[in-house]
Amino acid sequence: MSEHHDHTVSSPEITFGHPPAESTKRIWVVLGILSIITVIELILGLGIARHWYPNDTWVLFVKGTVCILSLAKAYYIVSEFMHLGSEIRNFIMTIVVPLLLFVWFIAAFLWDGNSWKNLRNKYGGEPAKQEQAAPAHQKGAKD
Amino acid sequence: MSTAVMHKETKWWGGGRSPFNASYGKVMMWYFLMSDAFTFGAFLISYGTIRFSQNFWTDPNKVFNSFPGLHGMDLPLAFVSLMTFILIASSVTMVLAVHEGHKMNKKGVEKYMILTIIGGFAFLACQAWEWTHLLTGEHIALLANGTLDVVPTTVTLNPWGDQLSHDAMIAALQTTPHDQLAAIASTLHHGGDAAAHNVADLSNAELINTITKSGLHANHTGPIAFGGYFFGITGFHGFHVFSGVVINVVMWIKTRLGHFDERGHYEMIEKAGLYWHFVDLVWVFVFLCFYLI
Amino acid sequence: MSTSAVLHNADVHTHDAHHEHHHHETFISKYVFSQDHKMISKQFLITGIIWAIIGGLFSVLFRLQLGYPDTTFPFLEDLLGHWAKGGKLQPEFYYALVTMHGTILVFFVLTAGLSGTFANFLIPLQIGARDMASPMLNMLSYWFFFLASIIMFASLFVQTGPASGGWTIYPPLSALGDASSGSKIGMDLWLVSMAMFIVSSLLGGLNYISTILNLRTKGMSMTRMPLTIWGLFFTAVLGVLSFPVLLSGAILLLFDRNLGTSFYLSDIYINGKILPNEGGSAILFQHLFWFLGHPEVYIILLPAMSMSSEIISVNSRKPIFGYMAMVGSMFAIAILAFLVWAHHMFVTGLNPFLGAFFVLLTLLIAVPSAIKVFNWLTTIWRGSLRFTPAMLFAIGFVSMFISGGLTGIFLGNSALDIHLHDTYFVVAHFHIVMGVASFFGMFAGVYHWFPKMYGRYLNNTMAYIHFWVTMVGAYLIFWPMHYQGFAGVPRRYYDFSMWESFNQFGGLNEFISFVAMIVFAVQLLFVFNFFYSIFKGRKVTTTNPWGANTLEWTTPIRPGHGNWPGEIPEVHRGAYDYGKDGREFILQTEPVGENESHH
Repeated sequence: MSEHHDHTVSSPEITFGHPPAESTKRIWVVLGILSIITVIELILGLGIARHWYPNDTWVLFVKGTVCILSLAKAYYIVSEFMHLGSEIRNFIMTIVVPLLLFVWFIAAFLWDGNSWKNLRNKYGGEPAKQEQAAPAHQKGAKD
Repeated sequence: MSTAVMHKETKWWGGGRSPFNASYGKVMMWYFLMSDAFTFGAFLISYGTIRFSQNFWTDPNKVFNSFPGLHGMDLPLAFVSLMTFILIASSVTMVLAVHEGHKMNKKGVEKYMILTIIGGFAFLACQAWEWTHLLTGEHIALLANGTLDVVPTTVTLNPWGDQLSHDAMIAALQTTPHDQLAAIASTLHHGGDAAAHNVADLSNAELINTITKSGLHANHTGPIAFGGYFFGITGFHGFHVFSGVVINVVMWIKTRLGHFDERGHYEMIEKAGLYWHFVDLVWVFVFLCFYLI
Repeated sequence: MSTSAVLHNADVHTHDAHHEHHHHETFISKYVFSQDHKMISKQFLITGIIWAIIGGLFSVLFRLQLGYPDTTFPFLEDLLGHWAKGGKLQPEFYYALVTMHGTILVFFVLTAGLSGTFANFLIPLQIGARDMASPMLNMLSYWFFFLASIIMFASLFVQTGPASGGWTIYPPLSALGDASSGSKIGMDLWLVSMAMFIVSSLLGGLNYISTILNLRTKGMSMTRMPLTIWGLFFTAVLGVLSFPVLLSGAILLLFDRNLGTSFYLSDIYINGKILPNEGGSAILFQHLFWFLGHPEVYIILLPAMSMSSEIISVNSRKPIFGYMAMVGSMFAIAILAFLVWAHHMFVTGLNPFLGAFFVLLTLLIAVPSAIKVFNWLTTIWRGSLRFTPAMLFAIGFVSMFISGGLTGIFLGNSALDIHLHDTYFVVAHFHIVMGVASFFGMFAGVYHWFPKMYGRYLNNTMAYIHFWVTMVGAYLIFWPMHYQGFAGVPRRYYDFSMWESFNQFGGLNEFISFVAMIVFAVQLLFVFNFFYSIFKGRKVTTTNPWGANTLEWTTPIRPGHGNWPGEIPEVHRGAYDYGKDGREFILQTEPVGENESHH
């Protein structure tokens, strides 16, 4: 530790750049994959529009398939186009693991949304009559 | 192989460099995008929640079935697949720009940035057309006051509910005032029928007669939130595309001015690229939620 | 193919070269648009203190109404004009005060004021960095906060008053301009201010995370970081992931207010006439709000927890008990914070089966919380305690955290919550566990790091008065509220005197209000002490007044821009080698000796 050491160099932030890929072949392969998935999605979607599927269970199944295909697209975009796949594993983890929060985020919200529908169908009736019949706040008048 | 060296070096903390072999700027961009994913996630999940809470939801294939220049044809998914492919293509040109950046090829970066920017503008143009088409569309729907009218798709009105039964339509027509009847009749005569010119002069009964004879289909109004979420989320996504285009233009200018050559690396292009791909990524889910399912 | 090592001289470091010689900073660049993390931290702290005084004053004002509902105070009319006509607080203004009290203290004081101050101050100093990763964004983070503050402050002065729908701004009250006077322009300003605030917290959070990850000095591996840094790290992560959800919720609310959309509105009748909005759900907003709102509780708590950990260890002259368990439990709390939001919504008609999951996840939080509590207690156990003001507040924090945490177990059970929801029991619970506890953590931090900030000590006598009155006073204020809550006294009511069943608490309310005023007065004593000591406090003569191990005490007591005059020190050990091998403390920079024992 010499006195005149230039400390701008003593704490540089060194990163190791990605070695440049030799060819763009991988990019075109991914483009191919994304296109194929999209075309499959479009065909499945068109099936819903044109009523190809015999019943609602089938439609639901197709929709589920389309969701999974979209996740696959997302995987290729993030991993290849955004180069996340070639980052260090820990870095990938810090990005992917928090996204797992979406599982409960989606599940709980949709679950409750569905529950509102059931409540409304079961107890809803004609809101207008009930609302107008109900007197204003009655908190004070208890017992 | 280099990866082995890298792993060895990152195992124990020596200080003075990134544990992720990524500059703070790139780390920050990644976490920003993660954060933004939660913004979009919240929007899309809200949409899903409201959709789950309804007994009926608008069928996207009925709403998004037009293509510029092809009037009167039922083409579900056609226009949106064009938009999707535009965005994927611009994503590819962006990767190629980053690739050229790694090779320190200024000319290559410039070329692909230009292509990416064009892709961005093309997407925005498509979106502008789609919004205009919906906001100026003419659909006949049964309003809350029991009359029929010609209405567009907006954030407060959704003419894409269940189809009205014939009897209900006849009943509704009886209570519909004259100017609305005239508007409906003139919508039906878009083909260029001579009678269309003077529909306003016809009496109510004559108008109703014309309308019923023409085989009119009318809808109930659908869930209002449909328009709100569609315009809200695609608008927010469009805003991201727009800001991405602005960033890309700035990056292109900086490339042209040789800033990155001076700096010795094209990392800024990489960061702009991350943002751009994220916009593409979000579109995958917007496409899924609004058009496909 | 060889790995190409790219050397980025991050912008942060380039200013080092000239910070010692020439380059005279102007007043503006040094105190106003400063990019030095230490100055930015002081800006956050002082803005936070100003907000705390305003927020505290509001609570005193509405406590006056609750404690003395039948008395008129003519001076109130002089002070507040038509909001206190005839010397009596008007109901609309009461609600506005309650709303602003919550908003100010939760967001502006205990989020920005707390983690803004200490993340900025401590992260670079404790991990051995010259500044934040991006000083520019850091500065912007403060100025967005400032902008948010200005807008929120302005909303206090609009004709129709500030937002008054509660700090949780539930629709439809917040979505319909005609719902109340506070739902008009005040509500719009609230939303715009909060959007600015979210930008600020995002800029800050991203900076904190990438600084902690990327700019640690040599030898400072993650597992050697002081717990403060871990706490601030998780806080930043929580903020970065949860605030965007509030942003989405707020944007949709703005649309509902101004564009006639129906995201949150359905079946609304005003004077028997139905509004055109249909199909939305007000409960959706609650979900979105609490998806932020619950992590927000830990955004407030984690910095306080982690600073208390640090201070307790330093002043017990003992290593923190279970360092990895402390980190692990903070991590567990951070994850669970995202999974439990609907426990605020048990009475919204939440599906009971879904609610059961939320009960389970909520009660799980007790596990990491208990681990932390036991670790604090075991750290103190048989230590050579030094009761500095900071230590007292840190112990006070533990006390508050236990008391408030226990009532959390009551409220986390949906069956009990249905009875206790929206009563004073809830008020007591969250004020103790996140209000007072976090304030204690913040006070502990200020007393502990004040010498580092200003090179002087705070006055001890005033500090002890401050501590004891606040500690006893806080319990006197909030403990009785539990009983009120059990009796069903609802929160957010303007006046209880007309109800037979709540009348019995009139005297208690008067007592609470009286104590609240005393406690508020003592906080003013602290503020006086703070500003007095900046200029007149006893000077610190050593670089390491508390005999602490962490890196911030290896620089001059008031380091310049760039923190270390020479090279950044290298770290050779964890932050908690206190009382090891008969030595009182061993700095992190000291290399491990050959014969050194292992803990």
